[in-house]
Amino acid sequence: MEVQEVTHKPLFEGEPIYSMWLRELIRFSAMRSRILATFASPLIWLLFLGIPLSQIFASGGASQSVPGGLPFFAFIVPGIVSMGLLFGGTNSGVTVLWDKEFGFLKEVMVAPVRRTSLMIGRSLGALTIALIQALATIGIALILGTWLGFRIISVAGFFLAMGFMIITFFAFVGFGLTLGALIENTEGFMTIVRMLEFPMFFLSGALLPLTVIKGIPVLYQLQFINPLTYGVDGVRGLLTGVFLLPAWLDLTVIVAFALLFLFLGAYAFSRMEVD
Amino acid sequence: MSILTTEDLTRRVGEPKAVSGLSVPPRVTPDNDRRPILAVSNLSKGFGKVTAVDAINFEVFEGEIFGLVGLNGAGKTTTMLILSSLLNPDSGNATLCGYDVVKEKDSVRRSIGFVFEEEAVDIYLTGKQNLDFAARMYSLPKQEREKRVAEVLKTVGLEQHANAKVRDYSGGMLRRLEIARGMLTSPKVLLLDEPTIGLDVQTRRYLWDYLRRVNKEMGATVLLATSYLEEADYLCNRIAILHEGKIVALNTPEALKGSIGENLITLKVSKGSQEEFAELLIGENLVMPELSKGPQEEFAELLREMPWAKSVESHDGALVLSLMDKSIGIPEIVRLAKTHGFSISSIKSSTPNLNDVLLHYVKKSVEEHDG
Repeated sequence: MEVQEVTHKPLFEGEPIYSMWLRELIRFSAMRSRILATFASPLIWLLFLGIPLSQIFASGGASQSVPGGLPFFAFIVPGIVSMGLLFGGTNSGVTVLWDKEFGFLKEVMVAPVRRTSLMIGRSLGALTIALIQALATIGIALILGTWLGFRIISVAGFFLAMGFMIITFFAFVGFGLTLGALIENTEGFMTIVRMLEFPMFFLSGALLPLTVIKGIPVLYQLQFINPLTYGVDGVRGLLTGVFLLPAWLDLTVIVAFALLFLFLGAYAFSRMEVD
Repeated sequence: MSILTTEDLTRRVGEPKAVSGLSVPPRVTPDNDRRPILAVSNLSKGFGKVTAVDAINFEVFEGEIFGLVGLNGAGKTTTMLILSSLLNPDSGNATLCGYDVVKEKDSVRRSIGFVFEEEAVDIYLTGKQNLDFAARMYSLPKQEREKRVAEVLKTVGLEQHANAKVRDYSGGMLRRLEIARGMLTSPKVLLLDEPTIGLDVQTRRYLWDYLRRVNKEMGATVLLATSYLEEADYLCNRIAILHEGKIVALNTPEALKGSIGENLITLKVSKGSQEEFAELLIGENLVMPELSKGPQEEFAELLREMPWAKSVESHDGALVLSLMDKSIGIPEIVRLAKTHGFSISSIKSSTPNLNDVLLHYVKKSVEEHDG
């Protein structure tokens, strides 16, 4: 006789999800260095990479490469925002397994809560932090933009961009979870993750227009199998009004990528045992 | 279907109270506690080529403090993780409060508290935040949550440090917090994996007394995995000795100690025997008496013939004699030696402790395995 589960959990476990979210935020606010990094990091990228790079384009020769007549600084801002989503999302996914290894998660795994609720709550916490960082980046960029030419095209565009950022973030949470499930040992784990993250970031059109490397077909093509390319383009298009790729393609690819990896990641996570 | 199976009955009886009833622990009366709250049958689990748990069987009764003891790597933690539904066994099965640990994980989790061997609290949160967080995981209503958190903080004596970050806690405070977390939902079964590892004698004693209170006052059944034998001896009603994934002995601490004899006499026979003396005279005795197959071995054989000798073993150059009867002691042994011309250079009497018991059964298990 098949033994049935006696008690039924609700499909949506509000309290556990909320508390996982809350915990992420408490942990975040308890670490001053993390708060500092949230604001300092976009500032550093914008000041010390955004400004110098925009000088190259401003000084003449390459100006045609900047699509849609966008000032280069305005071009790079959505790229820096997307970088935060890539690193934040992937990190959130992979560190779930670290928590398991170092015990934080054990205490919640022994509670009668769905594994997926834990994952959702935790990811929502990380998303909140990533969005704070994205807003900080945009805020700093708007201030610098008064000189360097970055402005948001419309209020609707801004809110749509936020929605797009959320989807992009979850795509990378799923990616991180899947990576975490595939790579079992924690030693050297972060190195491998970085080895995947950085090429994804560099070959996404975040820092330089996709067409810059048109002369090198292998690298050029790689950009189009990189999901971040579509994430960056979507965020940029919605914030500045300049899409390099069709908007529907950006949305389709990033949604498909998010669904696929969240499914894989959730599957791996729900089967996770403490051992 | 209205037919009640035995399984159904066990489940009804053993069913943990709903969340709102958590503060009303079940009463434990010694007369009717012969109901297994935990039943393990033929449980096995391997990791790669290593068999961590090898077809073990045991039952724990309601209200008991049951100890799993053994050397490192004996399979204690693996057993605990399986019983808490966190790890699936390869074969066999186990029920906790009537719930299957594989098929009814949530009901099992609702019935237990688990204190892990490693730190499982968040050091960036305060003690109170940690407990509050744990309580939320069980969806305790706000009032109930605050009440329980305050209660357990008080019981472990951490109310003064409730709002300090856990990273500033001492080792003892940390363990107390973990035990408080384990007790938060007033579980029917509390699983403790090496709860006092790395603590000083005083803190350990304090925790032991606390655990006894938890067991008595709250009526929680306790499953304790430990490699500290004095801890098991002090706390447990019954103990299972695990060795290489198998249970090699299971009984009350007293019975286990009794099983290797009521009294242990450790003695050394010196070269004062007649034979030894003769050897000395002709100048042939160039080896240490302990190493020679001389008088000590002869005396051991003599002792083995005595009806009151349970066993005689040679250990570190000394004879360890285990006695069935408390009325036989050092004087009898000395008299026996004298009558047969042996002379004893050192002798002491001791009652066996659980360390002796563990080593005895481990040795026996190894010998059986080799034989």
